[in-house]
Amino acid sequence: MKKAGLRVRVIAGFAAGALTLSALMALVSYQIARHSLLSEREGTAVRAAYYDAAVVQAGLRASVQPDLGGLLGSLDTGESRRAVLQREGAWYGSRADTTGVRGAIPAGLQQRAAAGTAAVQRVHADGVPSLVVALPLRDGSVFYEVDSLSELQHTLGVLTLVLTLVALGTAGIGALLGWYASRYVLRPLTRVADAAEGIAAGRSDARLDPAGEPDLARLTRSFNHMVDELSASTERDRRFAADVSHELRSPLQTLAAAASVLERRKDALDERSATAAGLVTAEISRFQGLVNDLIELARSDRPADRTPVDVAELARQVCRDRQAGPAIVTLAGSAAVWLVDRRRLGQLLGNLLENAQAYGGGATAVRLELDGQGRGTIDVDDEGPGVSPDDRPVIFDRFVRGRSAGARAAGDGAGLGLALVARHAAAHGGTATVLDRPGGGARFHIELPGCRP
Amino acid sequence: MSAVLVIEDDDRIRLSLVLALEDEGYAVSGASTAEEGLASQRSRPADTVLVDLMLPGIDGFECIRALRRTDDVPIVVISARDDTADIVAALEAGADDYLVKPVAIKELTARLRALRRRARTVGPDLVPALRFGDLEVLPEAGEVRLHGSPVQVTRTEFQLLRELAEHPGRVLSRQQLLQRVWQYDGGDERLVDVHIGRLRQKIEDDSSAPRHLVTVRGLGYKLQR
Repeated sequence: MKKAGLRVRVIAGFAAGALTLSALMALVSYQIARHSLLSEREGTAVRAAYYDAAVVQAGLRASVQPDLGGLLGSLDTGESRRAVLQREGAWYGSRADTTGVRGAIPAGLQQRAAAGTAAVQRVHADGVPSLVVALPLRDGSVFYEVDSLSELQHTLGVLTLVLTLVALGTAGIGALLGWYASRYVLRPLTRVADAAEGIAAGRSDARLDPAGEPDLARLTRSFNHMVDELSASTERDRRFAADVSHELRSPLQTLAAAASVLERRKDALDERSATAAGLVTAEISRFQGLVNDLIELARSDRPADRTPVDVAELARQVCRDRQAGPAIVTLAGSAAVWLVDRRRLGQLLGNLLENAQAYGGGATAVRLELDGQGRGTIDVDDEGPGVSPDDRPVIFDRFVRGRSAGARAAGDGAGLGLALVARHAAAHGGTATVLDRPGGGARFHIELPGCRP
Repeated sequence: MSAVLVIEDDDRIRLSLVLALEDEGYAVSGASTAEEGLASQRSRPADTVLVDLMLPGIDGFECIRALRRTDDVPIVVISARDDTADIVAALEAGADDYLVKPVAIKELTARLRALRRRARTVGPDLVPALRFGDLEVLPEAGEVRLHGSPVQVTRTEFQLLRELAEHPGRVLSRQQLLQRVWQYDGGDERLVDVHIGRLRQKIEDDSSAPRHLVTVRGLGYKLQR
């Protein structure tokens, strides 16, 4: 099961806390209210019973043969109270039938009253909570009054409902408070997330404001420290690449210039010296190519710097530079201007042409097409032996050369050319793949999205 | 024989460049600091100056600015630094071209020849002045006038303006301009952009809102009235 989010848990916690607290408060208030209402009601009932008993007592004394039914009927008992009298084993009430009332009077109470003790007891009569007051009179008879508590019960019912609603409302308010608190508490974390996203997107200056949230000072501090370290490390790497390239380039400049002097005076050298000078010159230019490729590779993760470029013209240009006929370039459709990194696309095309020259006997076709979705595709064909299935997955890796026997050309590069092709394609968000050319040979297929100017 | 001054603090690079360029038929003098180079240019002006960016004392950028204050000699930067920031800063300081080390001598001499071709031919006004409102380009005199008074432009700037002026109202792409002014086939378009920026500061009343030398987005530049 997925763990609930921090926010959900905070909200649930606040709601549960509020509910528990308000339920407890409601319970206590209910008990206190009930107790005080009941005792007050009991007091009222007992006072009323004493008054009624006094009236009955006076009536009994006034006449020898009293009309007990009439006497009890004359009492002002209202709706809720019913009075009965037990005299010499017989029951008398305001109405002739007293069984309903008699049934409500527990036997224990009758015995205690018969023994001359006044008593009060709470009972359930016909499902209605009632209060029975028993008052022994002087002549041995007992006056009972059964007081219905249904009104009180109704009041308590209303009270229960109100308290329940209040408890639920409090829980709701608690949840709302939790939602607000979590939002408030999580806001600094949102800022952390924003900053982290910014750094991932390459904004190395993204930092958290140390004055922003005193409680999160430690997080802020360590986050900023981490980012500082990270950008320092990136900067060190960049600096290192720059230093290495600089340190390699300077002696190469001397070598290139000195080699040119040797090259020019080749004829004045004896044969052995001339051969050695030729080797030095050739290796210097190869070394130069390798250093340039390495520097290019080291910075190839930078995003492509796209500008509108006439790719057909660029491809023809690259072909001319590589001594390949510009006539092999064909443009499908009329969209010759693509939005690409000119330098990188030129290098990509150049490397594919050089690869075809080294392994495939030279490129036979360069096809350019911009489709309806703005995706530019470039196919470079050769009619060589093709690329074996074993080589295909690794051919775009660094320092991989064709393993096909005898395919290695003289003055071959270090195997960085196709790696750069793949990197340049990736910098445009595209891909580089190698396919079989129908009719034999290899077809290098490049797809570059987002090329529509 | 064309004279070249090489300002480069690395003795071996300087010596190898001097040897190689002398073999190519140039009269080459070397200087190991900017100060020495500036003094040499004052006493025996060369036709072209090659300058490194990282120099002890006055650095390459400042050296270019100092040369530009008194001279419109073509300046080529040869540096191991290839950051866009360095390239743009050197061009903005007044360099005409920027080459990243290691440069093949063949390539270097090709660049030097291209710069020499841009040298002005001062003669009688056979070709009429090209007028663009208050801006005048005099191809034969190699002069540019704004509101009737001459404007100081370098040879490269002049050549660039002349190419545009000879095609009034027509858009020339950056690649076309690189080809015609620098003789580059597929060169660095930042060369054009920085030179256009430098020109605008000289011939526009408000270089941030150019009236004559306008950018046509995605296509290139054109010169208009």
